[in-house]
Amino acid sequence: MSEPLISVKNISVDFGSGKKRFRAVDHVSFDIRRGETLSLVGESGSGKTTVGRAILRIYPVATGSITFKGTDITKKLTSSEQRDMCRRIQMIFQDPMASLNERAKIDYIVSEGLYNFKLFKNEAERKEKVMKALLEVGLLPEFASRFPHEFSGGQRQRIGIARALVMEPELLVADEPISALDVSIRAQVINLLNRLKESHGLSYLFIAHDLSVVRFISDRIAVIYRGKIVELAESERLFEKPLHPYTRALLSAVPVPDPEIEKQKKLIVYDPAQHPYDKEQPIWTEAEPGHYVLTSASELDKWMR
Amino acid sequence: MKTNNTNIKMKLDTSPKNYGDILIEAKDVEVIFNLRGKKLKALRGAGLVLRSGETLTIVGESGSGKSVLSKTLIGMLDKNGTITNGSILYRGVDLARISREEDWLTIRGKRIAMIFQDPMTALNPLKKIGEQIREVIVMHCGLDARASRTAALEMLEKVGITDPERRYEQYPHEFSGGMRQRVVIATAIACNPEILICDEPTTALDVTIQAQILELIKKLQKDMGLSVLFITHDLGVVAKMADKIAVMYAGQVVEEGSVEEIFYDSRHPYTWALLASLPQLGVKGKELFAIKGTPPSLFKEIQGDAFAPRNPYALQVDFYHEPPLFEISPTHRARTWLLDANAPKVEPPEIVVKLREHLKKTTGR
Amino acid sequence: MKQVPVLGPELFVPAKAQAGEEEQIGYEHYSYWRSTFRTFLKNPVSLVLLAIIIVLTLASFLYPVFSKTDPNKVALDVERWNLSPSQGGGIFGTDQLGRDIWARTWYGTRTSLLLGFIIALLDVGIGMFAGALWGYVKKLDRIMTEIYNILTNIPQPVLLLLLSYILRPGFWTIIIALCSTGWIGIARFVRNKVLMIRDSEYNIASRTLGTPLWRIITKNILPYLVSILIMEAALTIPYSIGAEVFLGFIGLGLPLDTVSLGNLVNMGKNNFMLYPYQLTWPTLVLALVTVSFYIAGNKFADASDPRNHV
Repeated sequence: MSEPLISVKNISVDFGSGKKRFRAVDHVSFDIRRGETLSLVGESGSGKTTVGRAILRIYPVATGSITFKGTDITKKLTSSEQRDMCRRIQMIFQDPMASLNERAKIDYIVSEGLYNFKLFKNEAERKEKVMKALLEVGLLPEFASRFPHEFSGGQRQRIGIARALVMEPELLVADEPISALDVSIRAQVINLLNRLKESHGLSYLFIAHDLSVVRFISDRIAVIYRGKIVELAESERLFEKPLHPYTRALLSAVPVPDPEIEKQKKLIVYDPAQHPYDKEQPIWTEAEPGHYVLTSASELDKWMR
Repeated sequence: MKTNNTNIKMKLDTSPKNYGDILIEAKDVEVIFNLRGKKLKALRGAGLVLRSGETLTIVGESGSGKSVLSKTLIGMLDKNGTITNGSILYRGVDLARISREEDWLTIRGKRIAMIFQDPMTALNPLKKIGEQIREVIVMHCGLDARASRTAALEMLEKVGITDPERRYEQYPHEFSGGMRQRVVIATAIACNPEILICDEPTTALDVTIQAQILELIKKLQKDMGLSVLFITHDLGVVAKMADKIAVMYAGQVVEEGSVEEIFYDSRHPYTWALLASLPQLGVKGKELFAIKGTPPSLFKEIQGDAFAPRNPYALQVDFYHEPPLFEISPTHRARTWLLDANAPKVEPPEIVVKLREHLKKTTGR
Repeated sequence: MKQVPVLGPELFVPAKAQAGEEEQIGYEHYSYWRSTFRTFLKNPVSLVLLAIIIVLTLASFLYPVFSKTDPNKVALDVERWNLSPSQGGGIFGTDQLGRDIWARTWYGTRTSLLLGFIIALLDVGIGMFAGALWGYVKKLDRIMTEIYNILTNIPQPVLLLLLSYILRPGFWTIIIALCSTGWIGIARFVRNKVLMIRDSEYNIASRTLGTPLWRIITKNILPYLVSILIMEAALTIPYSIGAEVFLGFIGLGLPLDTVSLGNLVNMGKNNFMLYPYQLTWPTLVLALVTVSFYIAGNKFADASDPRNHV
């Protein structure tokens, strides 16, 4: 197996201080390999967005390390390292209405990162780069002189992708990039992300709440619950044999667009009190090759049956 | 004024038999919003039929008019919107003609209740949960203080809130999002309405909570014999809830039918596109069928079929003439020229074909 | 409208796909400022008020250029004192020393407007940058909040008294006095706005792109504040003019040889029972100026809200 592109080890993120301190992410670990899409699935408040933002160094980590291509990016970086990380790890946001600066033209929005690190020799090269990025996401180059106001949700989301793309990133953290889009637009963006993955050799951390959508795009899926990853597996395997009761509850809750399946489905409700964790501590265990679950020994026996 | 009010009440035919199983029949409804001098035609001749005891879901993207259509049923259009054409018949009364608030009060909340996406819009943050339900009961059912309190407690229990005596005394901020939505449902059904309109009631909730609320609505529907009009953009939710489906696009119902007919035998290219673009039904490693472009601006007059510019199956006629609703079965109708006798035969997207085969396998039809 | 062919079987053929057309945006060119000004100027009230403001400003600044009347010229002839307009005392009459009130009103308006403009410019300029930093840089919050508490808790008359002891009463003293507390209010207002937008997704996007602080403030934050800053400025002008009048009233205003609306109103007030016109005219002009700025400022605030754009 090849060296992971990014390796997240035991990170925790705290918010607030003193008595109000609250641990949003609690000892989370995972790797993303080159060219892989790893999805992080959880409900609101599960800490999934926080993990993504910790990787982008928006939130500092309280414990653990994040190693990107051999460099621990939770440490203080030199300015050239910083510049490199900014370029190599980029982000796509959830709300296309809020993620673009309304008072700037598309030209500035897409080249914002280029300006920050002077990634162009002259004005002509910058224009060229912007044009190429717009074409790549299926927009017309003449849109550069317009304001975000004039575009629809799907087009705005693609502008956001173009903005990340000009930086020539290797890892894209996509934080619910389709959940705010209309159903008829979602497929456009999913296809685009998949195409860019191939053409640019990108890796994705795909953050989402909807397991059934994630199945289509991800190689592996991690399920996060209250700041802890409870299960991680190859995506097909996770659907075939979900082990953790929370994963099963989540799978049963996600509505599938097929009435036959929906009619037969039984809803499972997850009760966090069901675990015997007062007696034995849960540990991150490899239940079968490549399939990890947070469990105690006696529980795992039960689940594997 | 008084006489007019009693008129509506008298006209409201409450006997169950006269209208068969059709509760609401909306026809050719046209709604125009006036936005600072510009006219936006939000509904362009939309219609639907809601039958007793069934769940009709309206699917569509934002701006398709699904919420506007549901709001015309309870007289809650925004002030700058008016119904300019069409009729909405409910028990012998044309709801499209009611203009006075007093007349609406005999229907809204009492016979037709509605719940919204954000439960906080329906709850008063400064009042106890129980009192809010009790008030509705007093207002619409005319019970006295004690009886209404008992009824309110009963309602809380009915919507699955444990320990109702304690919860009765709490305020909305002490409830989670899912619990709030349960309270809103309790207020909505407190007076035994016959129709419950749900406008994306679970969109703001987490999937596990959403599933529980959907189960609750289904259970209440069965227990109370409710007819439900369910508005959503999520085809998964549709598959779970619907008996009948109406697909809306650009202010019109473009296809309507039973849940099987829409999922396994759809005829309109927009319905095909919606189904085929779902990542849940996609095949890994293959491109999804994507609908190009964006919905049309309803500020402009639309000529022909509104979906034509984005439709890979578009015929020339689509750009000039608006298609009528073609009948496929007694319950299934679609607004597309592809059903015309003159139209060429076209092959729907792969996923839609697969869904059809799936139907053949399961039903042997 | 295109030619509509008759419905017939020959129309039932697949339409040619128009490449790229589906990406065309349905909306017309939208520019924030154009829409703001269009919405502002569409309202007849704002149009009239804007005209009043422009005419008054131009006239008061041009009057000294074209008129030879000296506003401070005292009439030695007692006959010329306290003449009402009907008695031939000029357009607004003369005051107790025979000075021409018409000329004095224009000179006074000029002084007061100049005072208002300068204070508005300083308050908004300092307040804008201080507020943007205060809101965006979390570490500054503590210190700035303390400064705010101190400055807003000193009664302004006390501060003015102090300042007029240290400096001589005069035009710039009033400006310093009013600005020393005025900017912090605007800074606080800007800070609250910045807090609302600092963590919105587009700002986080800028941070992930490595955008430096100064550019986040000038490109991401301040453009969102320009409209409210213009409004703040428009409201500071009438406030400052009013404050000057009030200061004159408690004896801390401009020296008596400086013609200002404050001094005119004070003088008029003393003679009001005998010669009401000496108070009426300057007060009317004062009211016209302040009310115009105030309402026009509010109308502009409405127009600058994108929700009010078509």
